[in-house]
Amino acid sequence: MPIDDIKPTRSGLMLVRRRMALAERIHRLLSMKLDGMMLELVKLTEQIARERRELEEKYSRAREMVAVAAMMEGATGVLLAALSVETHPTYTAGHKNVFGVRLPELEPVMVKKTLDQRGYGILGTSSVIDDAADAYEDLLEAIIASAELEGGIKGLLDDIERTRRRVNALEFKIIPELEEARRFIEDQRDEMERQEWTRLRRIKKIKAKRG
Amino acid sequence: MPPPGVISPSYAYACTRFRVRRTTLLPREDYLRIMRMSIPEVLTHLGRREYGQEIADLAHDFTGAQLIEEAVNRNLAQSFRHAMAIAPGDLRTLTGEYLNRWDIANVMAILRGTVYDIPRRQVRDLLIPAGEIDSALIDHLLRATTCDEILEALQDWRLYQILEEYHRICGEQGAFARIENELYRQYYADLLNLGTSGCSGCQELIAYLRFEIDITNMRNLLRLHCAAEACDIATIDRTMIPGGRIPIELFRRLYGIETEEEFVSAFLETSIVPVLAQAVRELRQDPNFSSFDAAELVWQRWHQRRRPVHEIEVAVTRVRLHQLEGLSRRHPFSVLPVLAYLERKKYEVANLRAIARGKAFGLPPEQIWQYIVL
Repeated sequence: MPIDDIKPTRSGLMLVRRRMALAERIHRLLSMKLDGMMLELVKLTEQIARERRELEEKYSRAREMVAVAAMMEGATGVLLAALSVETHPTYTAGHKNVFGVRLPELEPVMVKKTLDQRGYGILGTSSVIDDAADAYEDLLEAIIASAELEGGIKGLLDDIERTRRRVNALEFKIIPELEEARRFIEDQRDEMERQEWTRLRRIKKIKAKRG
Repeated sequence: MPPPGVISPSYAYACTRFRVRRTTLLPREDYLRIMRMSIPEVLTHLGRREYGQEIADLAHDFTGAQLIEEAVNRNLAQSFRHAMAIAPGDLRTLTGEYLNRWDIANVMAILRGTVYDIPRRQVRDLLIPAGEIDSALIDHLLRATTCDEILEALQDWRLYQILEEYHRICGEQGAFARIENELYRQYYADLLNLGTSGCSGCQELIAYLRFEIDITNMRNLLRLHCAAEACDIATIDRTMIPGGRIPIELFRRLYGIETEEEFVSAFLETSIVPVLAQAVRELRQDPNFSSFDAAELVWQRWHQRRRPVHEIEVAVTRVRLHQLEGLSRRHPFSVLPVLAYLERKKYEVANLRAIARGKAFGLPPEQIWQYIVL
């Protein structure tokens, strides 16, 4: 029932009070959730900053390794080794629940490989290819880990925004409106009571005059 | 055929031609000059030398470092085909056998490209037709759509029996790596067999090859050891090349060693140590670096499960090439001048490629210089 349709009756007052109690409870819970999510966000932000630094280091290392591999084996040798890849690296996507928010959970699949799994022959290649492959596998793992954290932060930020809007709506609109409605109903009921009392007193006076 | 001990005129003529060709390769001063140039300047400089034709031919399709790499690769293929053409008799057989290395790489690239359905144009760009398999056959192989068709076309190839043995597993997981390893093992076995034919300089050739096998085996053992999961003895047996001076049994034993004393004493027994020590001495300009230090260095890498240092690998190659050239001067009319030329040409191309790629990646000249084999 919209707040404007509530009648200034006892049942209306009880309805408003019930709604108010509910709104205040939700506001308290959402505020706690918001605080929790903010703490989680700070934690994730620190983690992603660390991961990002590592990612940049791993990228630089991978570039250096592929440069050395291209120098020693030529781009042709590097591409021939790349051509040998039999199982392409991928990831599985799941989710974890943090304060009711579904955050992505990415698991690398066949990213880190053994020499056998890489597909190239050990006698036809040299250790620079292994180093370059290792460096790119590390980089790929860091990218997946970074993507998981960034996806989590994005999801968390969206939910923080949504929750903050709800908390603000409760705090600055719904609860004040309910408060106003409660006051209005109470005032109305007081007024009605005073009218009733005045009416009864007037009737009593008239009856006394007649008697 | 001349009687044993007598060198035929054509043999002497061919050896002289290879020695002359050796003198046309880039001298050290040229490398020092190239190191100071930008990539376009390197292209101009190479264009004035024997790479001019290849650069002009490929300038439409490639630019910068890629153009240099493609041009030097094409020049390598042409030089090796020319070497095959001028080598007479058993020199030709040896040259063909030696150049089989490029055929293995080409055949494996074509097989993989066919099975994984990689665009043929992309595969074609990766091939260096420096072996016995000529461009026409390569084009024919590139048109094939199945492994069987490729195998059928390769029936006259030296290493066909290996492909035939494994053709059933063609395309299975890990099959290509096994085929590739087997092809290289057979390649070395055939080269060693050829060395036993009693030709002039064959003893030295065998010694050179056996040392190359030892170095390759040791390097691959380090690669296997630094993997996250320990491999089984069967993998070591499949990966090690037989025929080296160091028996495979010693590599098996080394793989299981985890204490410094045991490792160092076992490694000091190998013939790798003196060459490694000399290479590090030259690389670090440290005359006091001993064989024991070299064994300690390898132990450190082994213990930390790390791969060989690339700069040291290159330094070892330098020492080996110097030794080979010394031998080829001592045996001027043997297979050694041919091998010395082929190896030098291979490393000239590798050097130019390293300079081009290093400059393209913006590496400092001092770092690039460490990868140059002179």
